[in-house]
Amino acid sequence: MYRYDDIDREMLADRAAEFRQQCVRRLAGEITEDQFKPLRLMNGLYLQLHAYMLRIAIPYGALNSVQLRKLADIAREYDRGYGHFTTRTNLQLHWIKLKDAPDILDELATVGLHAIQTSGNCIRNLTADPYAGATADEVDDPRIWAEVIRQWSTFHPEFSFLPRKFKIAVTGSPKDRAAIRVYDIGLRLHRDGEGALSFEVIVGGGQGRAPHIGAVIRERLPVRRLLSYMQAILRVYNRHGRRDNPNKARIKILVASLGAEEFARQVEEEWSLTDKEAVDLPDTELARIRAGFAPTGFEALPPVSAAYEKAKASSAAFARFARHNVVAHKQPGYALVHVSLKAIGETPGDCSADQMELVADLAERYSLDEARVTYEQNLLLPHVKLDDVPAVHEALAAAGLATPNIALISDIIACPGLDYCALANARAIPIAQDIARRFADPVLAETIGELKIKISGCINACGHHHVGHIGILGVDKKGEEFYQLTLGGSADDDAAIGQVLGPALPADRVTSAIDHLVEVYLRERRQGERFLDTFRRAGLGVFKEAVYAEAH
Amino acid sequence: MPKLIRWQSGVAAWAEDPFTAVDDDQSLPRGEVIVSLARFQREGRDLLAGGRGLGVRLESDDAPEALILDLPQLEVVALTFPKYRDGRAYSAARVLRERLGFRGELRAVGDVLLEMGHLLVRCGFDTVEPADDTTPEQWTRVARRYRHVYQRAADGREPAFAERVRV
Amino acid sequence: MKALTANHLADGEVVFWTGESWSERFVDAVLYEDNELAEAAEAHAKAQITLLVDPYLIEVAAVDGGLAPISYRERLRALGPTNKPDHGKQALGGEDIAVLARAHGAARSKGRVDLIRRK
Repeated sequence: MYRYDDIDREMLADRAAEFRQQCVRRLAGEITEDQFKPLRLMNGLYLQLHAYMLRIAIPYGALNSVQLRKLADIAREYDRGYGHFTTRTNLQLHWIKLKDAPDILDELATVGLHAIQTSGNCIRNLTADPYAGATADEVDDPRIWAEVIRQWSTFHPEFSFLPRKFKIAVTGSPKDRAAIRVYDIGLRLHRDGEGALSFEVIVGGGQGRAPHIGAVIRERLPVRRLLSYMQAILRVYNRHGRRDNPNKARIKILVASLGAEEFARQVEEEWSLTDKEAVDLPDTELARIRAGFAPTGFEALPPVSAAYEKAKASSAAFARFARHNVVAHKQPGYALVHVSLKAIGETPGDCSADQMELVADLAERYSLDEARVTYEQNLLLPHVKLDDVPAVHEALAAAGLATPNIALISDIIACPGLDYCALANARAIPIAQDIARRFADPVLAETIGELKIKISGCINACGHHHVGHIGILGVDKKGEEFYQLTLGGSADDDAAIGQVLGPALPADRVTSAIDHLVEVYLRERRQGERFLDTFRRAGLGVFKEAVYAEAH
Repeated sequence: MPKLIRWQSGVAAWAEDPFTAVDDDQSLPRGEVIVSLARFQREGRDLLAGGRGLGVRLESDDAPEALILDLPQLEVVALTFPKYRDGRAYSAARVLRERLGFRGELRAVGDVLLEMGHLLVRCGFDTVEPADDTTPEQWTRVARRYRHVYQRAADGREPAFAERVRV
Repeated sequence: MKALTANHLADGEVVFWTGESWSERFVDAVLYEDNELAEAAEAHAKAQITLLVDPYLIEVAAVDGGLAPISYRERLRALGPTNKPDHGKQALGGEDIAVLARAHGAARSKGRVDLIRRK
């Protein structure tokens, strides 16, 4: 994994020092809350319902054991011993004191972590395929390019006050595991017959109030030209994006109003005037960053592990874990192991300090010192020897981290919702807990198969409800918590925005509605169909009827 | 008390301001003036013929390319921040400096706050009219906030990727 | 009826105005029947910028066993998150917490929204 050099470290130190000064001035009353608020937000510090919340960036979701242990230390020392991993692969700590925030940033900086650009109308923390560097289907490691963009976008002088926030996702695989079609910019690496690398550039996707699937504005951008092309996109957006209404200020609105073709034309025109050599990284720097992600430490192993096969044969629980949480690796004899943060009845994405430390230990001992955060709010050990998977499973299971439910009905995405968040209209966590309990039986969950439920406590869609196979949006109906269901969304290659099922339901009817939807699916499905496939074939009607029948 | 702060070689100091900002409906005073783009387009030829120093003020939705032919004759381009969060002027500044080759004074006016200092200098501004009662010492400090930068911009600072090759 | 609430600047703790000081318990809050008095208290609180962040008035109503904020958002602030019964003020326990936890019904409160959205 890329290691920060002195320059990277001094950038973090300078930023932490600056924030300490700003905090001192605020606590002394030299600056008002109105003046201080944007400054603390630039460091990811929000005031939520119960306390301050610190959003720590985990660039492209990649962590080493030292970083993960530091997060555990901070959660224990400055918070209440836990944190919440988000759909943007950030870690949120919910019980932070302002007076501690500068010390926390100092501590984060010692391990190359920070909270820079985790809020504000700037280029936010990058996300990437969590399988990066471990999956056979990738043409190049997306983390290289995510790190290139991370550096370029950090304290960018021109793009720190954009019309609205700006999120970028990168994948190196034909299969999309980074939701690139619902990002402001989605980048997909491609390698042609001669081995030349390029990006497919997708712009104008997004969720929130006006969900859009992004449009391809360039099929093949030579990778060397990534940053100059990004500058062109961002400059067109910075100059022409709407600033009169924050609800219409995202780039998706600009792309939609101009049309993707016209937007692309403006970008190409801007790009043609750009001094590309001044912006794009020289090959030596690209090579330096690439070297930081070079695979190291893999052993030459046979593709089949007797120990792994034996464990599967002798334990139904392990076999189930292997079916759902273990994924094939590009390296023979290795696997990716999903660490579920969706134990039945627990808060999706929450992770205790003890659990973080355990995963850090496992990463160090069994996964070439790497762990990942997925946008689906789980963790991942990317490089585990098949021989070691039984031991890893045992350790995870003892810590409540081995629920065999990845991509199943209880692997629910939920934002913190009104239990913590000042923007929320309704709670998301109790809804997720209730649904997971209803479908706790692993045999039932496996029978149902892939079904992605995503819950947001407000229209900002941090819980990705628009792209859930079943999406659940909390709304405030005359002061009561209600939930609007959508069906048929997807964040994957078949990206789609879900369709509204019908009138919003009170909290106590949501789980039974899910029950009805699942019943319809199990009744209607044909051979090999997932819930999403059945919905797409059968349409909204049968599902709607089942959920609202009892109201008639 | 002058309200203009100018950076020279990285140090900010109070500066005398010979320019008067003139509204569109205001009659022209003597001496150097800064007028809006609309007024410049209407009266520019006469103003330039008068031999006085001239500046143009661009609002955040004015395109700097509108000045492409006139830049050599302008002493000042003032870019307006209607709110500090409106970042269009950063793009306009870089276009003026890096693409259109403007070498005169680039001035930040409007809701110009201390915390913007680092970005302003990097994008090629050399003077500010601060909206608050901050001092040149503070502006000097804020512009030097980071020991390194990750990108090339209009200030000519060496970006990290170039620094790494050199070291 | 109105009560005055805020968060402490230094630690973010939710607090309520008792008429003399700031308490972490809703049950200690002084209740204003008179709008002018309430607003005067709010204005006074807003001036305490080194102590508080964003003081504001909340609506309070009689409920089974006592008083509670009308909006569920404010009741959650006065209690803590429902997924962690041992966190927040609900961990203190007691009859006043039980009253809040039992309360239902609601009215919309914008609460903290303005604090997050940058003006």
